[in-house]
Amino acid sequence: MAKKSFKGRPLLPGNLEGKALVSKQAFNTSASYLENMFAGRTDSAPCTDSANKDLYKKDLSGAILCTTQTVGSTMGAGCIMGMNDLGVGLKAMLFSSHIDSIAAAGLYMDDIWNDRRIITVDLLGDEFLEAVKTGDPISIKEDGTVEVG
Amino acid sequence: MKRRDILKGAALAPFSAALLSSGSGAVQAGSVQAKEANMAQAQGAATGKAGAKDLPGYAENFLTTDMDGVGPDGKPTGQKATFSGASKADAKAGQAVQNQMALTQEEQDILNGKEGKEKARLMKILVAYGNAFGAEKLVDLGGAPHSNMYVGTDYMGSMIKMFDECAKAGLKAYAPYTVNPRPYDLYNVNNNPGDMELIYDGYKLQRDLDWVHVRLGAPDLNLRSCACYLDEVGNAPKPGTYVAWAESSAVNFGNSALGLRTNRNGAGMDLLSAILGKAPLFGLMTDEGRKAKWLVEIKTSKEPDWGAVGTGIGTKVVEDVPFITGIEKYFEGGKVTADNLHLLKAMGSATAASGAVGLYHVEGVTPDAKEKGRDLLVEGYQTYVIDDAEQERIIKTFPNLWPEKDGDPTAVFIGCPHNSYFEIIKYGRLITEALDKAGKEKAAIPIYMFCVNKVRDRVIEEEGELASKMKRAGVHVTNMCAVSYAGMKGFSERVRGITNSAKTRNYSTIRYFPDDILVKAIVTGKIPKGA
Repeated sequence: MAKKSFKGRPLLPGNLEGKALVSKQAFNTSASYLENMFAGRTDSAPCTDSANKDLYKKDLSGAILCTTQTVGSTMGAGCIMGMNDLGVGLKAMLFSSHIDSIAAAGLYMDDIWNDRRIITVDLLGDEFLEAVKTGDPISIKEDGTVEVG
Repeated sequence: MKRRDILKGAALAPFSAALLSSGSGAVQAGSVQAKEANMAQAQGAATGKAGAKDLPGYAENFLTTDMDGVGPDGKPTGQKATFSGASKADAKAGQAVQNQMALTQEEQDILNGKEGKEKARLMKILVAYGNAFGAEKLVDLGGAPHSNMYVGTDYMGSMIKMFDECAKAGLKAYAPYTVNPRPYDLYNVNNNPGDMELIYDGYKLQRDLDWVHVRLGAPDLNLRSCACYLDEVGNAPKPGTYVAWAESSAVNFGNSALGLRTNRNGAGMDLLSAILGKAPLFGLMTDEGRKAKWLVEIKTSKEPDWGAVGTGIGTKVVEDVPFITGIEKYFEGGKVTADNLHLLKAMGSATAASGAVGLYHVEGVTPDAKEKGRDLLVEGYQTYVIDDAEQERIIKTFPNLWPEKDGDPTAVFIGCPHNSYFEIIKYGRLITEALDKAGKEKAAIPIYMFCVNKVRDRVIEEEGELASKMKRAGVHVTNMCAVSYAGMKGFSERVRGITNSAKTRNYSTIRYFPDDILVKAIVTGKIPKGA
């Protein structure tokens, strides 16, 4: 497939290549990690948000998540940190919209306090989310450029 | 408008924090049965090795949430609320990336480690966060902080540890502060083995969290309340004071009725800002961010249903600021007092629950509106009218989520956000007088009234006889969080609750009724036909 390039805002920069995991709807952080939060699961992070048809049952551990933003509990910041604690956190979060305050709090706190970075780029635009599909090769550059394909 | 089950779920055990939801109410599964089905699916989602234990039943309520951006048709709605109170729907990458706050020498020194490595890291987080939201600078905070870090669950461990390290380093908040109510009450509400098992299993880090708060500056559990601005609690800074509060209803009231300047902070950022005594200046802390994009005209023929009106406003404006007219007459002399603040509390908390409203203006009443009037409206503002028909329409959107829809109510919940002294006396008199008239001493169903301990103590001291009658009538006064209780495992299956709180309604299966219906149900144990 032809490569498509998008330029976003690198909030937590980094270079990374991998495959995309896409959610067209906002990512409900707390609802997605029930097995990990409450059943002590540490080998993987199957998405438990049955309301999210794109992600349900898919392994979130180490994923490059492409979505609009996050929603859900204002304790979601704690959830982001908690998942990194368990070793099942995401590798990157790519937002088509402006980052929300809950994700921003968790991502920055864990990056700066615990030295655990989830590469984060926002403001990639609606076109980014329209173009990328789960499984697509994706390349993130530290200047906020994201190449799909 | 759909409801926020995430908050129920959060309430279930360690998730009461979830009730500080970021969005408006929208359940994907509109019924207990559907949620149970979802839960079965979630249980089955585990592949390969399972966790150390099965998924607890209370987790089911995290499966749905408000503003997940999916509409009733299952398609993304494209919502772009940031939940900070500052809409960034029009933000572009190129412009946003350039934002770098200007720091004072003092702030730079902290960043450089001159006040210790812990403060340096906190400052680094705050600066990064502020830059992300386009803040021009940091401002010094006044008044006192308010924190919504109140659930000591396992998954909050990393964040609790972070602030524990700050406390061990000798750091403190810039002022003694207030904290949300506790998620349980082992004496007055959860005094049974079933609840206790859930609580002790689910809130394993509660002690650690409480100890963090004690050392950072909130030692008195008797002041734990979401209504931190009540006289009895005393966290009501002067208008114009910059604070960095969390808890959606407190932010909403503080910005609007008190004229404070704060964004909607999530858990963690509240304490972080409190320790530094600074917050990034953006959104609702700025003149520009406090302008109203909506004119809301209340045109009901009688006193509005405050919870319904709030729900309608929140649903309509989402994260924008509304300028509300038509309700000035309910605030004598244009003043918000101990005897009428509950009206704004009810309305405002509903806007923050059904939407993500961090600030509203009331013409002739709230500080910003008194100062600037309709100059607060932006050019091209939209108008929303709530008349009798619209209010009725809003109320009709409230679904009956009881498992036995036609069953009789089994409990009453009054006070979310926490009751003021005025409300305790008001409902205490309504209930006991109605019982007297019916020739009864005891209510047909238990009544839970939520308030800070200081308000409870004042009621006992000043209205001892009424307090005794309320106790004999079956009123349980508790300082815990109402939604936390509603979210406990099995609650929605075993309790058919009724409430005066649109916020509680938004986050649970508890049904919302006006006062006269609540009182009738309290006396008879039944909801009048047609209600």
